[in-house]
Amino acid sequence: MDSSIHEWGTLFQQVLSRLPLTLLMLVASLMVGLFLGTLIAVIRIRKIPVLHQLMAIFISFSRCTPLLVQLFLIYFGLPQLLSAFGIYINDVAPLIFAIATFSLHISAYLAEVIRSAYIAVGEDQLEACYSVGMTYSQALRRVILPQAFVLALPNMGNTIIELLKDTVLAFTIGVVDIMGQVRIIIGNNYGLGMFQVYVVISIVYWGTCAFIEVIIHQLEKHFKKGRINVAKS
Amino acid sequence: MTVFNIQFAIEHFPEVLKGVPITLSIAAVSIIIGSVIGLGLALTRVYKVPFLQQLTIVYVSFIRGTPLLVQLYVFFYGVPELLDWVNKTFTTTWNADNISPMWYAFMVYSMNAAAYTTEIFRAAINSIAVGQMEACHSVGMTTWQGLRRVIFPQMFEMALPNMGNIFINLIKSTSLAFAVKVVEIMAISKMIANQGYNFLEMYSVATIIYWIICLLLELLFYYLEKNVGKHRRKTAAVAN
Repeated sequence: MDSSIHEWGTLFQQVLSRLPLTLLMLVASLMVGLFLGTLIAVIRIRKIPVLHQLMAIFISFSRCTPLLVQLFLIYFGLPQLLSAFGIYINDVAPLIFAIATFSLHISAYLAEVIRSAYIAVGEDQLEACYSVGMTYSQALRRVILPQAFVLALPNMGNTIIELLKDTVLAFTIGVVDIMGQVRIIIGNNYGLGMFQVYVVISIVYWGTCAFIEVIIHQLEKHFKKGRINVAKS
Repeated sequence: MTVFNIQFAIEHFPEVLKGVPITLSIAAVSIIIGSVIGLGLALTRVYKVPFLQQLTIVYVSFIRGTPLLVQLYVFFYGVPELLDWVNKTFTTTWNADNISPMWYAFMVYSMNAAAYTTEIFRAAINSIAVGQMEACHSVGMTTWQGLRRVIFPQMFEMALPNMGNIFINLIKSTSLAFAVKVVEIMAISKMIANQGYNFLEMYSVATIIYWIICLLLELLFYYLEKNVGKHRRKTAAVAN
């Protein structure tokens, strides 16, 4: 395999053709994860009796076991479990299982991120809300969460980028994302030209990460809205 | 032959436990060094130090944007080449073969942790109101004194849950250290499993050990958080 410009171009084309699928998995699981994560964070802060302990166990399980194990549990275990109750989900696309697993996995991490941001907003804000007669959910929606999300943005960046790199595992259950495409290319070449392919995929991943970083940075700038930090900037 | 040889798993459990100190030392050393570097880098970004700020942005982007395995390989094969070049240019006699694989692991994992902690500390510093620093200045503290005595202690409250996330990820990523010949939990499990193809047993053993380590870490962070957040009065509890 010679390393002419043409071949690099085709490699990039082949890999990039699968990028939308990776981004779809990322965005879909992020949306669900963000929702679940906020819910779990609020449950843990409010210490709602039974749910609070359940969520602590859920977070512990999600963070302490490998993502691969969780993926297999949901992909192979869930259909078996449901078929015992007479529900048949064997023909659901692997993509859905992948998104479900990633959503649950990232919601545990995001719960911790949002919880820390919630604590950082401070209880005086909540007291102010109560003093003007807001209910807790109003205070949450109008005052606490908008501030908490801005504070959480850098940490969310960390988590989202980790998730992007974790999506490579989706190929193990048959979702052909960009890493899957790379494995297929290598397989078709009988293992030749591995170096080139891995250089290409590194660049694609780094490009995507850089893109995410830019988005997060712009969001941070946009939502700061005149709030000044310790350095007065 | 049974599918799962539990006798085999129990027999080899102590052997795998020998890898625990190595895994823990990699994670602990790199979280400590990484936090110190990360705090410095976060400050350069918060205070917008002209040249260093841009350097930090590129550094964080590079470390977070490339796989850890690639970083390990780059260091493991790059440092000996670099030493060769230094030896030739400056006629020194440094021998790359004397460097223990642990040092490569410490270096790479510290650099990796530094990038993630930079973002954590930046978020934490940004969460503190500017009034705190103004108050410090008004009583005659220097900026550094204000940071050290007022800002940092408050900062850890927001940083701790996120540090927990990073620390647990770090523990799990130490399983890659076998690539640079560090023999930790995963490596020992693989080697024992290879002798008799007892992969399921040994992977289960490794899973249990990792889970126990992570559970203990979660407990540790839980108590740390309780300690750091002592001064807070929980409004949520009052509202209930």
